[in-house]
Amino acid sequence: MKATVRKLVGPAGLTRFVCLVAVLATVGLLPWLSHRDPALTVLRARSAEQEATDEALSAIREDLGLHDGPLSLLGGWAADLLRGDFGTSWVSGYDVLPSVLAGLQVSLGLMGAALGVAVVLAAALVAPVLVRGRGSAGAFAAMLAAVPEFLLATVALLVCGVWLGWLPTAGWAGPEYLVLPAIALGVPAGGLLGRLVADALPAVLDERWVELWRGAGVSRARIAGAALRRVLPPLVPQFGMAAVGLTGGAVAVEMVFAVPGIGRTALGAAKSQDLPLLQGSVLALLLLGLVAGALAALTRRRLLGPALRDAGLTLPPARPVRTHPAIPLTLFTVLAVTIGWGLLRDPYTLNTAARLAAPSWAHPLGTDALGRDVLARLGHGAASTVGTAAAICALSLLVALALGFLPGIAAGAADIANALPPVIVGILVAAAAGPGTGGAALAVALISWPALSAHAAALVQEVRASAFLTAQRAMGATPWWILTRHVLPSVAAPVARHALLRLPGIALALASLGFLGLGAQPPAPEWGLLLDESRAYVERAPWAALAPAVALALLAGLAVSGAAAVQGRRPRRTTAGPRGTLGARAVRKETPVGA
Amino acid sequence: MEPEKRSEALLSVRELRIAFDGVETVRGLSFDVRPREVLAIVGESGAGKSLTARALLGMLPRDATTSGTIRPDLAAHRGRRISLVPQDALSALSPVHPVGDQLAAAVRSVSGVSRKEARARAVAALDRVGIPDAARKARAYPHEYSGGMRQRAVIAMATINEPDVVVADEPTTALDEERRDQVLRVLAEQREAVGAALVLVTHDMDAVREHADRVLVMYAGHLTELGPADEVLGRPRAPYTAGLLASLPQHAPPGRRLPALRGTPPAPGALPPGCAFAPRCPLAADVCRAAEPEPQQVEGRLVACHRWAELPHPATELFQEQTAEEGEERQPA
Amino acid sequence: MSDALLEVRDLVVRYGEVTAVDRVSFSLAAGETLALDGPSGCGKSSTALAVLQLRRPSSGEVVFEGRELTALPERELRPLRPRMQPVFQDPYGSLSPRHRIRDAVAEPLKVQGRWSSTEGPARVAELLDRVGLDPSYGDRHPHELSGGQCQRAGIARALASEPRLLVLDEPVSSLDPSVRAGVLNLLADLQDDLGLGYLFICHDRAVVRHFADRVVEMRDGRVISG
Repeated sequence: MKATVRKLVGPAGLTRFVCLVAVLATVGLLPWLSHRDPALTVLRARSAEQEATDEALSAIREDLGLHDGPLSLLGGWAADLLRGDFGTSWVSGYDVLPSVLAGLQVSLGLMGAALGVAVVLAAALVAPVLVRGRGSAGAFAAMLAAVPEFLLATVALLVCGVWLGWLPTAGWAGPEYLVLPAIALGVPAGGLLGRLVADALPAVLDERWVELWRGAGVSRARIAGAALRRVLPPLVPQFGMAAVGLTGGAVAVEMVFAVPGIGRTALGAAKSQDLPLLQGSVLALLLLGLVAGALAALTRRRLLGPALRDAGLTLPPARPVRTHPAIPLTLFTVLAVTIGWGLLRDPYTLNTAARLAAPSWAHPLGTDALGRDVLARLGHGAASTVGTAAAICALSLLVALALGFLPGIAAGAADIANALPPVIVGILVAAAAGPGTGGAALAVALISWPALSAHAAALVQEVRASAFLTAQRAMGATPWWILTRHVLPSVAAPVARHALLRLPGIALALASLGFLGLGAQPPAPEWGLLLDESRAYVERAPWAALAPAVALALLAGLAVSGAAAVQGRRPRRTTAGPRGTLGARAVRKETPVGA
Repeated sequence: MEPEKRSEALLSVRELRIAFDGVETVRGLSFDVRPREVLAIVGESGAGKSLTARALLGMLPRDATTSGTIRPDLAAHRGRRISLVPQDALSALSPVHPVGDQLAAAVRSVSGVSRKEARARAVAALDRVGIPDAARKARAYPHEYSGGMRQRAVIAMATINEPDVVVADEPTTALDEERRDQVLRVLAEQREAVGAALVLVTHDMDAVREHADRVLVMYAGHLTELGPADEVLGRPRAPYTAGLLASLPQHAPPGRRLPALRGTPPAPGALPPGCAFAPRCPLAADVCRAAEPEPQQVEGRLVACHRWAELPHPATELFQEQTAEEGEERQPA
Repeated sequence: MSDALLEVRDLVVRYGEVTAVDRVSFSLAAGETLALDGPSGCGKSSTALAVLQLRRPSSGEVVFEGRELTALPERELRPLRPRMQPVFQDPYGSLSPRHRIRDAVAEPLKVQGRWSSTEGPARVAELLDRVGLDPSYGDRHPHELSGGQCQRAGIARALASEPRLLVLDEPVSSLDPSVRAGVLNLLADLQDDLGLGYLFICHDRAVVRHFADRVVEMRDGRVISG
């Protein structure tokens, strides 16, 4: 009994629990954490005429319980919550719960439709792999998965809504309003789902049972079906994660299409410092994530059947997607030249005479609404975004290497971080610290290290299990010698490479926060912010929106193709695994025979 | 060279060549599989024996290019006429499907019987290989089977459609002696029961001695010796066969040193001129380094060696001397 | 019994609630080969790790060159470790994929403070030569060698520690027959020349019969004969 409890809780389970409590406490403590006096906000909202006298402000603070310190604030919030009291909006003065529920309803509809889009797209991506029996749709799917929702939403709005005028682009008045948001939200999720399955399938089709089945005459269609059945259960938790990702994506999509969902509510509340409403809507988003995760776990249990426990849970390592190194190199060169050129120009000079100018020799990418040079802003924006992203990368790398030696903690924290979309963390951080580059960087850093440290933990485990490390101990090497000469060098290089590969992704996350107004503030030339600012003039000056959109798409492409090129180049046998499996692998080498 | 007579062949392989990226790993191989016989294919890592087996099944990797003929084309009726027992039978079943379903899938794909009939046949096949309470065990997953039962189930799946040829690709590699004996025994029983020929790819000479009717010895993708198993093992005519047998501890003369072949087999694409075995061969002469020997009839078997007549019997001395004077792998490749 | 190089008494190794090795006792003299034989999972490898003190036994004694090891703290054990060296089954996995052969063989000298830039390289070349590898192989990485050559490099590394006892855990099981004979001959030569004691773990009866002076047969963690 005790053993089962320990297994359930374990270091990872404990970390998971601690992280969850920490997130909840952060939400509860927002009024205290934000350090800015909410009394003024509340006063303004309650009555525009009342003067901001000390007595009036003090009375409001008393009313909000801000005098009693953080612990009693947290306690009061939690107690109210348990009674079903989500508090009263500081801005509107209405109860929070009905607004949250209304938003939740809209968002659930949107997410459901998006999930449908995602499943259809994923099926379309996986089908060719199943039919051909090998190969991979991985690269294309990864490309789709890497395009951030806010970019896709903006482009969809531009093309289908504004230029072609096929579909309504703002509001929530009927099923036709659902189409564009569902596509913008569903395509990246579908790309992710499709990539997960398409990447795993070739390795599964190389498993020995496929050989046995083929050798016994089982038809191709049956093997394809069985392979799908084999590949799904271990991926279900990641599907849950994709569903969680929808909650984050929903914030951006709802904002672009003015959909009155829970994400937009949360974002609006964060911007207007309406903390009770923010607390309520963030809680709702977290709950959505947790429910998605629980559903995933349930589905997996159903799929696996009661008898099947760990046997079907692990997949063979996915075969790397190969890309020609010329692709990332070209993308990198185009980006670098554009950025370099832009850096030579001035991003701040206003020129009201040349507002929204079309591209010309003087302004190669045109000008924005204030007559500033778009190319210059693109270049300078990249410099700050990439610099911040690089700092986040370096920080994540250090944390990952340190925590890589504590796999339990790394795994638990990684679970929570995976369940928290960057946008929601960004909203929380922005609500606590105010929107700004630093806050956005903190938000992205908080969720970018766990993946690295999980990788580091896996490598540490692999190296520690290898026979050559046992030989080190046997020859009398000290733990310090083993750590510095063998473990760290084996772990640091691949994890550093991984960190570098995440750089474009981190930059995209920063841009998405900027786009939502949670990151860099005007007049800073941040890419997400550029895209957001240009949206208002998109009909008159599409190039101003197109330039940052294309730059972000190139960045997404770089994120995918760079990773693929590096993985494809790496030799298969890098570090040795445990002894038992190696015997089998050595034998297998002789038979280069797959499905 | 005189190929075997086609009339008695169940399966005839002629001039089989298998290449990857233009590098040939199987280089012009001809042999027959006769009805109900056990043909062992032996050789060391990289000799091309597993690829040859895959070619019979039509299960070569896609990037392989082949030439030559395999007649009749049993691979077109995989499952019904030819089937595979893969390496490492312990992990050869799908972990997410009940064992009975896996066997039934093989039945349904090959003969369009009803689901119920297929299930019944699966249970019968499991019963035949000695799995107790087969009806209940058919619903269980592989991880609920013991190692020995999994191996039996794999053999049951490979023989469930009663093929003419069963190809077993290193079925005993990495098994301890008890399990190895068990696998070979069940394999022999089932082959007998369904009246199939068995192509046994292995480097286990004891398995060959105990079970094979004929043996094909391969070296560097080429036939070295082919003939009745007891004759080839009893009196090898090719120096490679002799060296391979002499280096086995079970045949070693008293004394601590084992006779050994020097060096390592050549990598495909880096073959020496002439006979591929010449650099390791104690009998090698100028002719061996000049021309690759073709298989020729010698006393009811095929031998590919210029100097077969020179090979003494027993050949142990030949390989013993060599090791005393020279470290086996000293020369850089 | 006083001349035993290694004496194992009532060795017990537990993994959680599973007892992998159950009261195993044997002794081994210098220059002798003692084989541990038995089916997979019978506790052979766990016994080997416990003898090497790479996995501390749950109870029992391991007396090596007259000293009881199980009670020694790691700090005191470390100087004794070089005297008993392992050779593993997987020739590739036992060498670091990132290091050249020469560095792998030189490492014990460096770890044990016996490296000097003047004599070290010559010693490494000598060790490679001793195991039948041309010293030019020192420049290569493990994946550039054949399995037999890697196994020889692993033996050279073990010899660099100047051991009295080699614990050979399935050292030839993943090698082809013709290569296997060469490695076994090398081990026999080394034993004749250096008087090493071998604890030889192997599941191939024919190899055991040929190579070992005495056989201890194990099953389910216990000694059943020998």
